[in-house]
Amino acid sequence: MAKIGVDVGGTFTDLVLEKGPRDVYVHKVPSTPEDQSIAVLRGIHEICEVAGVKPRDIEMIVHGTTIATNITLEHNGSDVGMLTSRGFRDILHIARHKRPHNFSLQFEVPWQSKPLVRRRNRIPITERVLPPEGTIDTPLDEDEVRKGCRLFKERGIESVIICFMFSFLNSKHELRAKAIVEEEMPGVYISTSCEVVDVIREYERFSTTAMNGYVGPKTARYIRNLADKLREEGVKAELRVMQSNGGVATVDMSSERPVTILLSGPAGGVIGGRWAGALSKEKNLLTVDIGGTSADISTIPDGRIRIMNPRDTYVGDYPVLVPMIDLTTIGAGGGSIAFIDEGGAFRVGPKSAGADPGPACYGNGGTEPTVTDAQVVLGRLDVDRFLGGDLPIDADLAGRAIDDKIGSKLKMKTKAAALGIIRVINSNMALAIRANSVARGYDPRNFGLMAFGGAGPLHGVALAQEVAAKEVIIPPSPGINAAIGLLETDMQYEFTRSAPLILEGAAKKDFDRVNAAVKKLEKLCSERLSADGIPKSKQVFSRIAECRYHGQGFELRAELPKGQLNEKTKSVVIDNFHAQHKLDYGYTFGSDQVEIMTLRVIGIAKVEPLTWPKLKKAPTGRAKKKTLDEAFLYSRKTTFDDGKTVDTPRFNRDKLLAGHSLTGPAVIIQHNSTTLVPPGYRVRVSDFGNLHIAAS
Amino acid sequence: MARKTTKTGSKASKRTTRTATARKTTTRKTVARKTTVRKTATRKTAARKTTARRTAARKTSVRKTAARKTTARKTVARKTVTRKTAAKAANRRAAGKARTAKRTTARPARAKKVKDIDPITLQVIGGALHTAAKEMGHVLYRMSFSSIIRESEDLGAGLFDADFNTLSESDSTPLHIGSIPGYLQGIQDTLQDGEWYEGDIVIHNHPYHGASHSPDILIAIPIFWEGEIVGFSANTAHHIDIGSATPGLIIDIPDVFAEGMLFAGIKLYRKGVRNEGLWKFMGNNSRMATMLRDDIEAQVASARLGVERFKDLIRQYGLATLQAACNQLMDYTERMMRQQIRKIPDGVYHSEGWLDDDGRNRGKRLRVKVAVIVKGDNVTVDLTGSADQVPTGYNVPFEGSTKVAVFCCFRSLLLDQAMSEVYIPQNQGSFRPIKVIAPKGSIFNPKFPAAAEARFTQCQRVIDCIIEALAPVLPERVTAGNSASLSFIAYAGLRPSGDYWVFLEVNEGSYGARATSDGPDSIDNLMCNTRNNPLEDLGMHLPMVCERYELRDDVMPGAGKHRGGIGVVKAQRVLTAGSITHECDRHTDVPKGIFGGAAGAVGKVQQYNFKTPGDVKDLPAKFSGVDIDADDVIAFYGPCGGGYGDPLERPAEQVLDDVLDDFCTIDQALNAYGVVITNAMQIDKPATSARRAEMGKVAAE
Repeated sequence: MAKIGVDVGGTFTDLVLEKGPRDVYVHKVPSTPEDQSIAVLRGIHEICEVAGVKPRDIEMIVHGTTIATNITLEHNGSDVGMLTSRGFRDILHIARHKRPHNFSLQFEVPWQSKPLVRRRNRIPITERVLPPEGTIDTPLDEDEVRKGCRLFKERGIESVIICFMFSFLNSKHELRAKAIVEEEMPGVYISTSCEVVDVIREYERFSTTAMNGYVGPKTARYIRNLADKLREEGVKAELRVMQSNGGVATVDMSSERPVTILLSGPAGGVIGGRWAGALSKEKNLLTVDIGGTSADISTIPDGRIRIMNPRDTYVGDYPVLVPMIDLTTIGAGGGSIAFIDEGGAFRVGPKSAGADPGPACYGNGGTEPTVTDAQVVLGRLDVDRFLGGDLPIDADLAGRAIDDKIGSKLKMKTKAAALGIIRVINSNMALAIRANSVARGYDPRNFGLMAFGGAGPLHGVALAQEVAAKEVIIPPSPGINAAIGLLETDMQYEFTRSAPLILEGAAKKDFDRVNAAVKKLEKLCSERLSADGIPKSKQVFSRIAECRYHGQGFELRAELPKGQLNEKTKSVVIDNFHAQHKLDYGYTFGSDQVEIMTLRVIGIAKVEPLTWPKLKKAPTGRAKKKTLDEAFLYSRKTTFDDGKTVDTPRFNRDKLLAGHSLTGPAVIIQHNSTTLVPPGYRVRVSDFGNLHIAAS
Repeated sequence: MARKTTKTGSKASKRTTRTATARKTTTRKTVARKTTVRKTATRKTAARKTTARRTAARKTSVRKTAARKTTARKTVARKTVTRKTAAKAANRRAAGKARTAKRTTARPARAKKVKDIDPITLQVIGGALHTAAKEMGHVLYRMSFSSIIRESEDLGAGLFDADFNTLSESDSTPLHIGSIPGYLQGIQDTLQDGEWYEGDIVIHNHPYHGASHSPDILIAIPIFWEGEIVGFSANTAHHIDIGSATPGLIIDIPDVFAEGMLFAGIKLYRKGVRNEGLWKFMGNNSRMATMLRDDIEAQVASARLGVERFKDLIRQYGLATLQAACNQLMDYTERMMRQQIRKIPDGVYHSEGWLDDDGRNRGKRLRVKVAVIVKGDNVTVDLTGSADQVPTGYNVPFEGSTKVAVFCCFRSLLLDQAMSEVYIPQNQGSFRPIKVIAPKGSIFNPKFPAAAEARFTQCQRVIDCIIEALAPVLPERVTAGNSASLSFIAYAGLRPSGDYWVFLEVNEGSYGARATSDGPDSIDNLMCNTRNNPLEDLGMHLPMVCERYELRDDVMPGAGKHRGGIGVVKAQRVLTAGSITHECDRHTDVPKGIFGGAAGAVGKVQQYNFKTPGDVKDLPAKFSGVDIDADDVIAFYGPCGGGYGDPLERPAEQVLDDVLDDFCTIDQALNAYGVVITNAMQIDKPATSARRAEMGKVAAE
């Protein structure tokens, strides 16, 4: 039996196959952006061959995909029709009426110039639900719904969304309208706001629903098609898809609510980071996943993947109220371009040379200096060993690009300019790390910085130094760490419901209402998990109340007490909320009333952890040195961040053994990644092959 | 690193002095002030002052060095500040105009010469300063209670150097940004104890001491480093009710004292001790006391965070490097601004517009007159010829609002964030090349004790006029006429418990069309950039329910090659009796079209009862404390922007798209665009060609 993780990136599709305990294979194939499934199928085919696994013996395939994200980036989703409350046709057009920029006259308003639903397809329907109880003031005009459907059919609409005001209080109208649409337009893709995200605040709820309708049909087709093809190949296992919240879901679930997989790609990296930390029993981690164009950063305190506040979850310019890992993504990677702006400021990124033409040193016609070019000029990437020698690169081209675009303008020598590029990009990333940790109340001094992705290990030490992290950890396979994360991901379903309640002075009937709602959400989660074949005994539920001080506008998560919520146990919620408020804002309003806004239940089924093979132990005594010498490749001049150039030994990471340690300066080379160890740092190889780097 | 500065009159000369003596002078300034004090009574001219300062500076510089590192020295320093403050205040009264005071920056012994900071470190420090300001803003709006702060984000936060220069700002509401230096100056002039202590937190909102307007309360904390003040962490937030004449907002009031509580340089915390009496006082002087105090707590938390972040930077880079970097960053932004100004041909550019009225004297329109004088890389905006100050609260504080509006305009025009690939640090540098003139006693520079709370729409019109004036020379950077107004509305009433409820709502405007794109619809305009309040959130907590929130369909926006933005309709129903106040304008003077584009549409406000919707009453744009009954509906219709370029040049397909999306009626398509659309919703091509040819001929004649 085997498990496969397959992660699609912009350039490569990465795969991991676990055949059995400590029997793990990794593989990479070029991505096929026109249809991601081509590379996915090819990769699965090839890795099975290498591992000697037959398709029918595959037990599970977990897929991290950028399909939904790409639809939003390329803005080529479905034509969506919307039924909405009369008088509120333009909620999606007006949004929160705030401009994207403070100081601009020529700005674009994406939700107006590139709407998820064109205005002509937003049909107002007579109906009205009133706050605060959700009473029906005006019944649903069913004829108008049917008329709307006919118009949609004429226009060839393939996705319909239903968004009524106050549906979080009373979903009757939305659900009735849905039934009518199903009747009138059989087979159409339908999303109702109360089913996609049943929470207060109309714009955010409508926008999330619109996004679901927009990416839905294409995403569903992709996932179902991939599942079908796998079945044709003889794969019996069900395909699972990585969600933005760090859990996996079934094909059906991801097809119905594709908004939950918008951050499917980077989520795997964070979980991979936690996994690699666990190999060394390190629970406090800053994960930094650096690729060609962007860096994804996340903070994992005490082994806990953090979920973003729902008020902060945007995809592009559109709010999407679904749980997402608290990731900070910035345009900083190996391909980031350095330039001097009109005012003479030194800039690096966010523009990237991408895969085509790529950095100047690739020799594909790129003339802009990139971070990779700087690393080459500084002698940190060996031209003959780039990607194991698969991709020969040209150091002269790198130097020329830096001279032309930076050096000549600032009157700097090539190396100084290259060092500048590295410093600016590191600083950009360090700011993002701080924004994700310090600004969230976490002190990096208690955290290990887990650096991965192809470029991560080159920057790890410098970043750890800038944010004062306690050490750097480089996982065994930095280039495919995100794919590994996929195999480490729990089955996870999440359901929410708005249920406002001020805890002070709450009556028994109020508590009963909350308890009943929680129970219902638990039931929904449990049904999903059971449908996936998870026995009740393995289902675990996390129950959360999103709270605020009564009158605030933003909620924070507080765990609900075990058992029932009542007069006695409500203090647990209140205390948890105070603690979270203190952590986030550095302040608590001691005596104020705490109000529950939204209930959330997360149903989880743990997967068996991936068992990574232990590394062969280095012998003791003189033999140890000998084995280390075997890993030694050669020495070359390398320039470090302090500007000093020293003769620096290269080591072959594949030959490093557990217990080996070496001192910087050193460069450790493996197939798709290079680790830089500056002078004054010491590397220790852990039992499972993590590199631990700290100041010596 | 010579700093070129051109500010108002006397300031310029002082600045030049400073520049001449370069960095060495930082230390002298403290002492210089002492002399200033002693001479206050006799000193008359700026020139004399400067001389006096220089002399004194040199003398004390020596003395100070001797006293270095002793406690005695600190005492001296503090006294200096005290006297200086008194002097400044006296000075100000005597001279009758604002000036820049300089605070100590560094301890003399430490102010060693720092070389230019390398571009890389500069980039690093710039990023850190910006991040800190953003974090301050984040904490403030996330923690706060009133919807005007937490949802609308009507706030500003940032870090400032000891001379009150803006080092970085949160990305919040533009009018707050750039106003804080004025507040800090005002505090300096009015400071309780006459001096700062470590652990002080000051509250300030006095419109005649630098405040933007009284509801925008500032909280400031001095940043002490080794006993000296090296900067300030501060934020402003618009509070829901400060005990003004009418709940929440005010227009028709007699003087500044009807605006509510006025704080000038008052210590909310003194030497780290909370001034409980003041907190208690505030509790009795606001209709929404709990909310007001809790929101001020949020401001305190935000300002404290800024102090920590600034100190972290000092620890990391050292004070001298940090200060040098801050100065260079300001120079950089200034350079970027000057580069753009230089591209504008020298000359004087004029325009004018009319405001509806002052909220009391109906029908008496008020002129806004703008002359933009461009010379080299400097620009002056002269508002001379604008209306005299008015007897209501419809005046504009000069330091905190008039100037800030002009700064905001040039940043949007010349350092347009959407047109620049690079991020330009938001700091004092962008203000330096810009000078503002408004005669004392005019609506843009009122005399004490005129009320000056309702000042937003006038500021918006200044900006719109500057844009219009510069259109001929900056065609690719301007817009056609904007809504250039604001709809700021206060709903209030009593709950059955006898407690007040107050709700402040900002309604959006629309943009004039641009050279390459249509004007954005129903969006905050120019200096306004708030968030709306979710209608569902509103309905859960207040006796209000929204009846309609959509684009206007009763009028069309200005036609053009690019069309103007469409205004909003927002109709709010109040479920129990109460009262409302509305700060707004633009019911008479329509947003203009440019380069052949048509004018937009004016706004309107209507009142009717939900039960008798046919019985509609038109209201003026501004009104104060109007009583409303249960189920009364107030419907606001925002102005629509003007068009840009000849409507006949708009592709017929685009006109059809607009008709399909109801952005344009079939009638407007025919009459304004010359596009004939059939019943089958298709373009009648021959008829369209003929009609467009005909319309073109008529236009040419």
